[in-house]
Amino acid sequence: MKIVVAYKWAPNPQDADVRPDGTVDLSRAKAAVSEYDPVAFELARRLADATAGEVIGLSVGAASIDTPLARKAALSRGLDRLVLVADDALADADGTRLAAVLAAAVRAIGDVDVVLAGDSSIDVAAGQVPLTLAGELGWLGLASVSRVEAADGGLVVERDLPGGTTVLAVAGPVVLAATADAVVPKVAGMKDILAAAKKPTEVLALDGLDVPAPGATLTTLSTAKPGGGDRQATVIDGADPAAAAAQLVGALRQAGAL
Amino acid sequence: MDFGLTDEQQLLLESLDELLERECPESYIADLDLHHKPPTTFRKAMHEAGFGSLGFPEEYGGTPVDAVTLVLLATRVARQGFNNGYGLELLQAMDIIEFGNEEQKAEVLGLLANGEVPFALGFTEPGAGSDNSAMTTTAVHHDGMVTFNGTKTLITNALQSKYLLLMAKNPGVEDPRKAISMYLVPMDAPGVTTNQLDKILWHISDSCEIFLDDVTLPESCLVGVKGNGFKQLMRNFEMERLVIASQCLGLAECAFEDAAEYAAQRVQFGKPIGQFQLIQQKLTDMAIKIENMRNFVFKTAWMLDQGVPLKSQGALCKRYCAMAAFEVADEAMQIFGGVGVTVGTRVSRLWRDIRGHRFGGGTDEIMVHIAGRQIVKDHS
Repeated sequence: MKIVVAYKWAPNPQDADVRPDGTVDLSRAKAAVSEYDPVAFELARRLADATAGEVIGLSVGAASIDTPLARKAALSRGLDRLVLVADDALADADGTRLAAVLAAAVRAIGDVDVVLAGDSSIDVAAGQVPLTLAGELGWLGLASVSRVEAADGGLVVERDLPGGTTVLAVAGPVVLAATADAVVPKVAGMKDILAAAKKPTEVLALDGLDVPAPGATLTTLSTAKPGGGDRQATVIDGADPAAAAAQLVGALRQAGAL
Repeated sequence: MDFGLTDEQQLLLESLDELLERECPESYIADLDLHHKPPTTFRKAMHEAGFGSLGFPEEYGGTPVDAVTLVLLATRVARQGFNNGYGLELLQAMDIIEFGNEEQKAEVLGLLANGEVPFALGFTEPGAGSDNSAMTTTAVHHDGMVTFNGTKTLITNALQSKYLLLMAKNPGVEDPRKAISMYLVPMDAPGVTTNQLDKILWHISDSCEIFLDDVTLPESCLVGVKGNGFKQLMRNFEMERLVIASQCLGLAECAFEDAAEYAAQRVQFGKPIGQFQLIQQKLTDMAIKIENMRNFVFKTAWMLDQGVPLKSQGALCKRYCAMAAFEVADEAMQIFGGVGVTVGTRVSRLWRDIRGHRFGGGTDEIMVHIAGRQIVKDHS
């Protein structure tokens, strides 16, 4: 089974500087494999080990995603090889554009059975790239994947949805977005890190890929921090349940909620 | 001069950060400290991630690594506020890998892989510690067997260890340097009894008196060469001093961070106490000591890696770092005021635990003795 892990080389939010106006400055943040992606690496490795398959890392973005450190960081997480599309034309590209480039790279890799990704990226967190990628490829796309196993030439995929857990039999190529807690990823050890330097990396030229021109471009007009809500932090003493319930109803009425 | 990290070191530290966040939060460390429990699950996780065998030869499943990297990792674990969390067990294993027989190696490495402490070092005695020539525990070889008699004290991790790496003297040899041999003695061997000593620090490690009363074992429990015990033990002393110094650095960094954050939050006379110059002076002097410790530790590790003779460097490094770290923790506690001595405040634990490094692995005074002797010799 040929498995691609689509991951993002993203700034670490722990290094973010929040300006007084609430906007976030990530310019001094160190980049790393986006925090939700190691789950996809781990699921891919386990699936490949169970099927004697291959795991290929794939990332697209600005030229800065291709550094020796970035390559080793990805390759030390259970990949067999790495494919990158690193071009400054993709700096600040929106999710739709990135998904289109990822799709072109998946086609270039060829004969891919599964693409695995984290549910969303740590910096943008829009959560739309995996399913847009599925659309670009014309493949089935499933989000909220909590388990994936090989079975009868296809896959059994478990999804954790708000309404409950669903188990699906999936045949054919598919893009799967894993939940952040689907599996506990293995921590890369020294052996993995040293071995990473010896694994192959292929850099695909953006110009050489069959990427359709974007139908629309996005312009960001403004950003603002999320509203914190006007919390009252009212504490109700629950020693007398009946009195507490009356107090709660009163507080909700006063707030206009009832 | 390059103070930067290699890609490999940076990635390894990121992996360690992931593991510490997952396996070793402050609540875990505080619970171990409160209930006097060993960090078995953390050790096991470290081993599974490959940190537990860094520095071991590849044929024993390890990954050779330089001293700078080991020191970076030991410092990082200590910066979590975790005393004796990483590093020293590697040195223990090296004693056996270097000098033990195949059976001993397999046993010790297997125990390490399970997160267990393979052995306690049976060195200190009621009448012998820094003065090892005064050791009185005897090892009498006879008919393919060896019989031990004597008392050891302040033996760290004795209760959680399966073995005692016993240093004992052949009473028939006068020269103390040639009389001491090293043995791997099962803690459950007939004639071995223990008495736990209550102490005010290092709660994740028990400390015991160990009594050896006609303990008789096959001679195959000998580790290395008969009569070379002290020389074998000395082999890793420089690295041990360096690991202790790096732990002191990490613990001091932790105390400093806690104190600086507290100073920025604690309001007195209408403003955070960090805005008062007396507090700023404390924080500044703490920062200078930490910077000095860091430079001392990493230069010493670099010297080891370059094969530069350390002479007294390890002793100087430990002497400085243990004391400087304690001074940093003490000032951190002063900044916290009364809050600092309450149970559950991390700085109180750091203060206690760092204090132990002023005698553990060689007292301040012995470090001065080693370094001072060398300085005078170099100038004579």
